[in-house]
Amino acid sequence: MDLRYTPEDEKFRAEVRAWFEANVPRKPLQTLEERRAWHRKLYEAGFVGMGWPKEYGGRDARPMEQAIVAEEMARVGAPGTINGLGISICGPTLIAHGTEWQKQRYLKNILTADEIWCQLYSEPNAGSDLASLKTSAVKENGHFVVNGQKVWTSGGMIADLGILLARTDPTVPKHQGISYFVMDMHAPGVDVRPIKQITGSQEFCEVFMTNVKIPAENLIGELGQGWRLAQTTLGFERGGNTLSRATRARGNLNRLIEVAQRVDRNGRPAAEDPAIRRKIGRMLAETEVLRYTGLRILSKLEKGQRPGPESSVDKLYYSEMDKRHQELMQEILGPYGQLEDLPPELALRGENQEGLDGSWAYNFLWARAGTIYAGSSQIQKNIIGERVLGLPREVRADRLSRE
Amino acid sequence: MDFDFSQDQVALRDLAREFLGREAAIPKLRAVVETPEGYDRDVWRRMGELGLQGIPIAEQYGGMGMGMVELALVMEEIGRHAYAGPFFSTVVLAASLIEAAGSEEQKRRWLPKIASGDLTATVAFAERDPAPDVDLLRTTIAGGRVNGEKRFVPHAATADLILVVGEGGTLAALEKGVSGVSVEPVETMDPAQRDATVRFDGAAGEVLPGGRAAVERMLRRAAVAASAEMLGAARRSMQMSVDYSKTREQFGQPIGSFQAVKHMCAEMLDEVEHSYAATYYAAWALDAGAPDADLAASVAKSFVSESARKVCGDAIQVHGGIGFTWEFDLHFFFKRAKHHEVRWGDADYHRERVYQLWTAQQEAEKKELVHA
Repeated sequence: MDLRYTPEDEKFRAEVRAWFEANVPRKPLQTLEERRAWHRKLYEAGFVGMGWPKEYGGRDARPMEQAIVAEEMARVGAPGTINGLGISICGPTLIAHGTEWQKQRYLKNILTADEIWCQLYSEPNAGSDLASLKTSAVKENGHFVVNGQKVWTSGGMIADLGILLARTDPTVPKHQGISYFVMDMHAPGVDVRPIKQITGSQEFCEVFMTNVKIPAENLIGELGQGWRLAQTTLGFERGGNTLSRATRARGNLNRLIEVAQRVDRNGRPAAEDPAIRRKIGRMLAETEVLRYTGLRILSKLEKGQRPGPESSVDKLYYSEMDKRHQELMQEILGPYGQLEDLPPELALRGENQEGLDGSWAYNFLWARAGTIYAGSSQIQKNIIGERVLGLPREVRADRLSRE
Repeated sequence: MDFDFSQDQVALRDLAREFLGREAAIPKLRAVVETPEGYDRDVWRRMGELGLQGIPIAEQYGGMGMGMVELALVMEEIGRHAYAGPFFSTVVLAASLIEAAGSEEQKRRWLPKIASGDLTATVAFAERDPAPDVDLLRTTIAGGRVNGEKRFVPHAATADLILVVGEGGTLAALEKGVSGVSVEPVETMDPAQRDATVRFDGAAGEVLPGGRAAVERMLRRAAVAASAEMLGAARRSMQMSVDYSKTREQFGQPIGSFQAVKHMCAEMLDEVEHSYAATYYAAWALDAGAPDADLAASVAKSFVSESARKVCGDAIQVHGGIGFTWEFDLHFFFKRAKHHEVRWGDADYHRERVYQLWTAQQEAEKKELVHA
């Protein structure tokens, strides 16, 4: 056991830190062009697709290097890349399963964000039970004709391309009749509509597809392999997620501690109330445990081990933790926590503070998404119960009807 | 970055697991808790032969010279088997205090006997308030005379040596049978524990030269060792629940197939895995002298205290009626977790400490920036 960073790690961290301190945007990025310009800057500095193989424009970076960059970005609240899904999911899927033509056509533009990607998976009636999706793709004269509706498509409004799961064979069991495509989001018949969320912002969309033609060369893998591809998508961007979440949470807690000295509760500054201090102490402790777990995951990745279904334990912990912490912050801040506009001494981001936008209220509302997206907490618990602990699967109506 | 144990550490854990599984299995635990002493002296001596009591004791005093990580590995096994005996009091508390506060002669006199299993010892710390806070202590040690009342002293009735922590972290040792010491055992809900109230009425103690720093060190180590023991109890409870859920059938199917039960088991793993990370990070930080070692000890104790409570409690729920019976083994682990939950600082105590240590660390970092 040795949880220290090596001198080389520390040297790399110092370089990365200096770069971000010099380059992080001083104001929140407002427009798509500003975000694209920031992405380009990250790309040119070598911080985009670090884990991708060199032959496809990446750096084959070690998990440790990726973790350090992710932590340093979180430390200064640097905005992320504009093409997160492209880099973490779409690109790696193409690298693993795409044809040479597909790789040449798409990969470089993912890294440069000349083309922005989205993921067309969920449907109104296929959420946790994704394999029951109904969007159809029918082969006709060298192309596929797609009809259906997708929902919760993050970044759909700005995406140029999407990876699409669609049913190509309705006669076989549901997991076997799904195929995986690249779809041009600007093609005729694609209608993208933003969805206003409980935060008031519009990060996701619904996407309607009416007789959209997809060229046959945009099929990824074989017909009917879509489910397996979606399940086995191998990411190259690893190592830093848990640690950077912990770093971001630490930053927010440090700010909460400052603000708790200025907000009065029950006749004294909130930070002088033992009950409130314990709540903050609990959040600090749970956030430190997230950091320790991040180091544990990083130690595995550095040895070339891949986290399996136990990554469900990590997702369950951090998403539930964030929800719980946002509730506690609201308890501590009282009505101040609900305000959209706060004086700088009480705001989550003070005046002249670099980096990401965000408010106590926004973060509180956004935390509700964390335990739903990418497999809800209930689905994670099923995965943990069945694939990690080996508990028997439940009797499901869709399996009974198949038998 | 390496969060894995070395081969030697794994071998040590396996040794402890194998020995306790054989010599201190639950049927034997049930027998020893019926005795007044509450533990098996023969098993204790053989643990000494294996070297378990000597783990944290320096080699020059007959120990193995190992660190907190190794001690935590063994404490986890002790929790997993709900081992009943004066290991925590002798090895975690007393040996740590003697090593850090004793004179060279005292160390030579006591530590080899602890390492060999020939001497048991305990530390009398808490008074009316069970908090692990030296400033709360009112027992006096003056001119070699000890006056005061100590509560919740583990295994005091059988201890060959009692170390007393007095006002301001002063220290004295009293050998068994010294006059002016009365030991009154108290019964707790956990039959595997042997706590006592100990009164000192002008008893002649042998002063240890060390003081507060040695006591603070012991308190940190106790918090981490207690976390490891609770982790072991929680892990065993989880394993029993998972095994039971696979075989117990209701409504024509194993209860583990029901999400209501499956999800409880999944939450147990969530708690256990994060308690594991917290415990061993803290143990490593103490060994490495990391700047956040104190913080990590309080993070671990606050986190694991509540996690283990939830896991061991939910285990009873998963088992239903059988889990509520004396004949079923679960209650030993449930009670073991409860024992340590409120000793050496409960979750709330350590949360306040986390808050204080954290804010002090932030202030120090800011000052450093200004000076740089």
